[in-house]
Amino acid sequence: MTNGSGAKRRGPPAAAPPKRLHQEQPPQPPPTPSAAMDEDDMMDEDVFLDETLLHAEDEEAAFQIHEEEERRKVIAFRLEKWRRPPMSPSFLSQSCNIVFQQLEIDYVIGESRKELVPNSSGPAAILRIFGVTREGMGPDDVSRLHQTLEARMKEANRNSKAPKFIKRIEMMQKRSIMHYQQQQSHPFLKIVVALPTMVAGCRGIFERGIHVDGLGMRSFMTYESNVLFALRFMIDCNIVGGNWIEVPAGKYKKTIKPMSYCQLEFDCIYSELISHASEGEFSKIAPFRILSFDIECAGRKGLFPDPSHDPVIQVANLVTLQGEQQPFVRNIMTLKSCSPIVGVDVMSFDTEREVLLAWRDFIQEVDPDIIIGYNIIKFDLPYLIERAEVLKVAEFPILGRIRNSRVRVRDATFSSRQYGTRESKEVTIEGRVQFDLLQVMQRDYKLSSYSLNSVSAHFLGEQKEDVHHSIISDLQNGNPETRRRLAVYCLKDAYLPQRLLDKLMFIYNYVEMARVTGVPISFLLSRGQSIKVLSQLLRKAKQKNLLIPSVKKQGSGEATFEGATVLEAKTGFYEKPIATLDFASLYPSIMMAYNLCYCTLVKPEDVRKLNLPPECVNKTPSGETFVKSDLQKGILPEILEELLAARKRAKADLKEAKDPLEKAVLDGRQLALKISANSVYGFTGATVAQLPCLEISSSVTSYGRQMIEHTKKLVGEKFTTLNGYEHNAEVIYGDTDSVMVQFGVPTVEEAMKLGREAAEYISCTFTKPIKLEFEKVYFPYLLISKKRYAGLFWTNSNKYDKMDTKGIETVRRDNCLLVKNLVTECLHKILIDRDIPGAVQYVKDTISDLLMNRMDLSLLVITKGLTKTGDDYAVKAAHVELAERMRKRDAATAPNVGDRVPYVIIKAAKGAKAYERSEDPIYVLENNIPIDTQYYLENQISKPLLRIFEPILKNASKELLHGSHTRAVSISTPSNSGIMKFAKKQLTCIGCKAVLRHVLNGEQTVCSHCKGRETELYCKTVANVAELEKLFGRLWTQCQECQGSLHQDVLCTSRDCPIFYRRKKAQKDMAEAKVQLDRWQF
Amino acid sequence: MGFIGRGKPRAHEQDERFAIQKEKYGGQQYSQIYFARLHYMRSVLYSLIPNWKPQVPVCTVLGLEKGKECIIVGTIYKHMKLKPCVLDEYSKERSAVPIVKPHNFMHPDDHLVLEDESGRVKLSGDVFSPSTFVTGIVVALHGKETDAGDFLVLDILEAGLAPQIEFSLDSREEKYVVFVSGLSVGGSSSNPLHFQLLEQAIASQIVRVVIAGDSVEIPHGILNGQNLGTKELSRLSEPTKELDIFITQLAAAVPLDIMPGPNDPANFSLPQQPLHRCLFPGASTYNTFTSCTNPHLFELDGVSFLGTSGQNVDDLEKYSDAKDKLEFMERQLRWRHIAPTAPNTLECYPFTDRDPFFMESCPHVYFVGNQNKYESRLLKGSEGQIVRLICIPKFCKTGVAVALNLRNLECHTLSFSINLDM
Repeated sequence: MTNGSGAKRRGPPAAAPPKRLHQEQPPQPPPTPSAAMDEDDMMDEDVFLDETLLHAEDEEAAFQIHEEEERRKVIAFRLEKWRRPPMSPSFLSQSCNIVFQQLEIDYVIGESRKELVPNSSGPAAILRIFGVTREGMGPDDVSRLHQTLEARMKEANRNSKAPKFIKRIEMMQKRSIMHYQQQQSHPFLKIVVALPTMVAGCRGIFERGIHVDGLGMRSFMTYESNVLFALRFMIDCNIVGGNWIEVPAGKYKKTIKPMSYCQLEFDCIYSELISHASEGEFSKIAPFRILSFDIECAGRKGLFPDPSHDPVIQVANLVTLQGEQQPFVRNIMTLKSCSPIVGVDVMSFDTEREVLLAWRDFIQEVDPDIIIGYNIIKFDLPYLIERAEVLKVAEFPILGRIRNSRVRVRDATFSSRQYGTRESKEVTIEGRVQFDLLQVMQRDYKLSSYSLNSVSAHFLGEQKEDVHHSIISDLQNGNPETRRRLAVYCLKDAYLPQRLLDKLMFIYNYVEMARVTGVPISFLLSRGQSIKVLSQLLRKAKQKNLLIPSVKKQGSGEATFEGATVLEAKTGFYEKPIATLDFASLYPSIMMAYNLCYCTLVKPEDVRKLNLPPECVNKTPSGETFVKSDLQKGILPEILEELLAARKRAKADLKEAKDPLEKAVLDGRQLALKISANSVYGFTGATVAQLPCLEISSSVTSYGRQMIEHTKKLVGEKFTTLNGYEHNAEVIYGDTDSVMVQFGVPTVEEAMKLGREAAEYISCTFTKPIKLEFEKVYFPYLLISKKRYAGLFWTNSNKYDKMDTKGIETVRRDNCLLVKNLVTECLHKILIDRDIPGAVQYVKDTISDLLMNRMDLSLLVITKGLTKTGDDYAVKAAHVELAERMRKRDAATAPNVGDRVPYVIIKAAKGAKAYERSEDPIYVLENNIPIDTQYYLENQISKPLLRIFEPILKNASKELLHGSHTRAVSISTPSNSGIMKFAKKQLTCIGCKAVLRHVLNGEQTVCSHCKGRETELYCKTVANVAELEKLFGRLWTQCQECQGSLHQDVLCTSRDCPIFYRRKKAQKDMAEAKVQLDRWQF
Repeated sequence: MGFIGRGKPRAHEQDERFAIQKEKYGGQQYSQIYFARLHYMRSVLYSLIPNWKPQVPVCTVLGLEKGKECIIVGTIYKHMKLKPCVLDEYSKERSAVPIVKPHNFMHPDDHLVLEDESGRVKLSGDVFSPSTFVTGIVVALHGKETDAGDFLVLDILEAGLAPQIEFSLDSREEKYVVFVSGLSVGGSSSNPLHFQLLEQAIASQIVRVVIAGDSVEIPHGILNGQNLGTKELSRLSEPTKELDIFITQLAAAVPLDIMPGPNDPANFSLPQQPLHRCLFPGASTYNTFTSCTNPHLFELDGVSFLGTSGQNVDDLEKYSDAKDKLEFMERQLRWRHIAPTAPNTLECYPFTDRDPFFMESCPHVYFVGNQNKYESRLLKGSEGQIVRLICIPKFCKTGVAVALNLRNLECHTLSFSINLDM
């Protein structure tokens, strides 16, 4: 309580009982979903999932048509083979315990079941848990949670029309988590309301003020009144995301009228659930069915597909069982006939309606637990649903597991400090987790491009074929063969997300993250970091009888604090080994060492009032006071201790583990534990988060700074020649949690020995568990500036592990490939080959090649995403202007919003702005347009180069950028310029370009002056042809390879592919070279 | 010397099929050459199947049904783990490990795939070894689709040797054709003395000399677009001049065919076009001098010759294995294709309507140039075909030329090595 809401609360807590509002009752209508979206990203209000159920009559009416019935029968027969295996009789007879791994929990409001909870009436919240049993069947536990007590509260009745909103109010002995308090507990009121949706309204009443007898009109602060209901349930029942749950035989009842399409549906009371900790047998992952799909739409020329016009023409589906190598279903649904494909089930339909319905049936029949794809949340799923709306296929969007419940799509904005603000969609498919690989990539990896092509090139090491959307319509309008071609492409797109999922172990890592942090898997993707910490905090607080106040969003964000320290970098190129001393999990250790927590923080006014003895408190360097753990153990340190201990165990188990699947689980777990431990600090410092406490975060960083300084001081004092060491050690740089020391010794081995000694020596001076570790040596080491360095990384003295770079922009989006290649190659030459003159020469050669126009165009292409049309940009940008120009040239192939626009900077009239000089690389190739090489020299490569070379060379700029190698310049003549239109084609001499005047006399190739140089000129022409032929062959056969077919033409137009432009250029150059060669008649 | 008195042979140049003079690079791709190849080869294989397995039905890759035995005809694609890839240049990690075996890219995990116009299927079974096959050959396979979706191969049918024009071994005069390759004039290992010896050895029974590629070595790196200085110009023109002198002398004595090779000043991809006559101002004045294509196809006194400068066999060696070079040549004859790995790993012109490397008829003599050592064997086909296989060694390294007797297709070496260690 640092401001705002704290002020509202007057008087000591004992006098004015704060409320713990579990469930509360407002008479107002439930909040609308849009209102809920105003809340910050991690604490949405409970939202009533408004069921949009189809009435049974409608459904029947929809299927009246006889033919449709017939068609459905045929499809149903084909789909049948992919059904889940039948259930064993013991499940049917309700005689065995049901054990399953739950993946998703949500809730609805419905009538309670009388036989389970006899003494209640009226609507209740029903939690639905969806999961998979070990045998791979999908049960669905609909447990009905009941709030059975009928109690009432005077204040709440004030304007209530229905008297049954508040179920009960209890007096509880609890304590707020905020600040150190000597009293162990205070009375709190726990208010139980009938439905989760009523909580927000009730909280509003208390916050706005309420009349209490004897106290008058007062406003109260509420506690834990904004916890999502599903999370609340999980916390109360000790369920964590993705764990196993058991319902003992006899404690559940089979549902009489099933609400879902699940194989197993039963009801039970929430208190009968047994939640298993994820250990031993229960650490396994059930054989989930994972559907990976992709759709193709036939867009109109020049426009991005729009569901109101453009049909869905193909849907590719691959279904894989978690843990299996190969999909067991490969299916493609096409509009219009399609030739068969080996190993694939092809279903062709005459109308789009049939395609959509077949897909719906497919989903219901295959019953996937997880739906994956690339950009499915923002594109594929909403597109299918909107398209079905346009076509009035009302029965289409029943994709979830609840009978007749439609899929709902709404716009969502996701904003988080870590990930920034992103517009997205939220698609609700009950009982199926959606896992969009694009979202995951954007969250977990920093990449220069997130196209499926570059992501698969990055992680799977292969290029993806890319068919331009203008070709897609042509293929669709062709014959069964061309549609087959498209289908093969579509299937591949559907397979890549699955392969990424497997390769990057996402299922394991995300399930483990859910288990560690206790939130459902879907939260991990749709919400920010802090929900995870909050979930752990709430669980811990419950054990400790503590309550977490519901703080109003503070929004200010201005209260900042000093961040981590960075020691001044002594820049230079170090050719002696540099030892790196690291603090292991520095921030978590500080919080543990000094017992920093909400509940150990002593309010400034309390410091004197409570009269705490100085030996019982820690005063932090930033001036805050926290009590030591013997007075009050903090719960954040406790959470951290548990996380780190669990990580240690996981790592130990990982070493023991033999089974690769078990290893994957354990590795995912230790990673999740590490990330979780590190995010606790961020949670306390995030000003827009649930429970910010800058006293904690600023104390943490202040301790961190102190430690870095302390380390620096100790190294400087101890490792000196005075103390008997060979050299004086010097700290050359220090970052957040590491210090770089040059001990002066010449070999890696000696540096390692001293590094270990220093780490041990300095660790002794810190409070446990803060520990300084020696891990690695950099040798050689190029320190460019703060947060920018490169070096060879050694962890043993025999061989370096890798080249490590930080902050050197090699993968930035707005750089062309040339920069990246140049920087990487230079670092390689400097650090690994130890050949500085070689690096300089390489730079000079590259610059010369650039100026002489010998550069491969694909190295010069800059790519930017087109997010909105030209008019919406305030400042003119090169790629936007280019997109406009291209649209005027040919609307069909021009980039659309959402595409990435590749361009190069070309030579133009003097004074032309950069945005006017952008041009389509293909257009440049076709018309020989000259490249503005000076632009590339000055704006692209010079800065990164100077950064690297300045610590190494004197006069780096003069040496590299202004030498004789920059003098020779060659510019190509454009073939489309105005003047060329008037030019008459005449044969010129191949040697001297003089016009051949005696063509008729047999002078075809060279003029009379050059006759003597015929051999030389011929050799040159033919050598050029030979080079191009080699290139042509290699490039085009590679594309055949990627495409996976020898007998079909390559269609790919993936501009992300590094060889796309080269391939195009090779084709053009080859044609020209052949014409030149043919002039030499034989 | 003249060639009065020599038995004048009836010679027939048949290189038109390898000419690309009229062809244009107009955006065509490599799929068409595979298509043409599959088309030719399928008609050949279909005509053989009734004699091979008349009872087994023939179907396409698409028509496969699980467990049902059938025959499919298609192009082999060999999936190779170690095959170098142009995309590797762009991979984010600079590969610290250089290619282990730059001369052979085979790996135990390699597997074969059969492709026709309708699709691909992975091949399994142990009746064949992937190491003897390469991408681009067309075969018929007998087998069935397994539960895993593979095609279990039970038997393989290759096209076999093409039909041959008969010729009788008797009643002929002793006439010799001499083959030489890899003269490498201007290269460090070429020795002018060898040429003189070779020249003097041209005896009256020799009716033709064939130079199978790599006759001249032009220094690399001087043809970079700049006009050449006098010194470089001479470095460039000296070897060609020297070669011209040598060839002029030969052409004056005997009909001479010169084929371009991978290091000659000619285009690189197959079929290589004839070396330009401006390189041979002297020799080209003789009508006995012929600059021909690589591959080279001709007929002499009813004996048909087919040969290359070696690229086709060298490429097979990189992607498959055999006990010697002759076995590669033998396989090419059985596959009825001179260069199956073109265009996949062997550069070739993207023909649109034909595949010139397909062997319509079986030659009597099949030779390849620029090999490390001389090897030769007489191959007999099932229908009485007789083929002389010859590996012509590099002359600059071995000083060896090969003489073939037209009367009985017998073959021996002519060694001009100075240290006479042969």
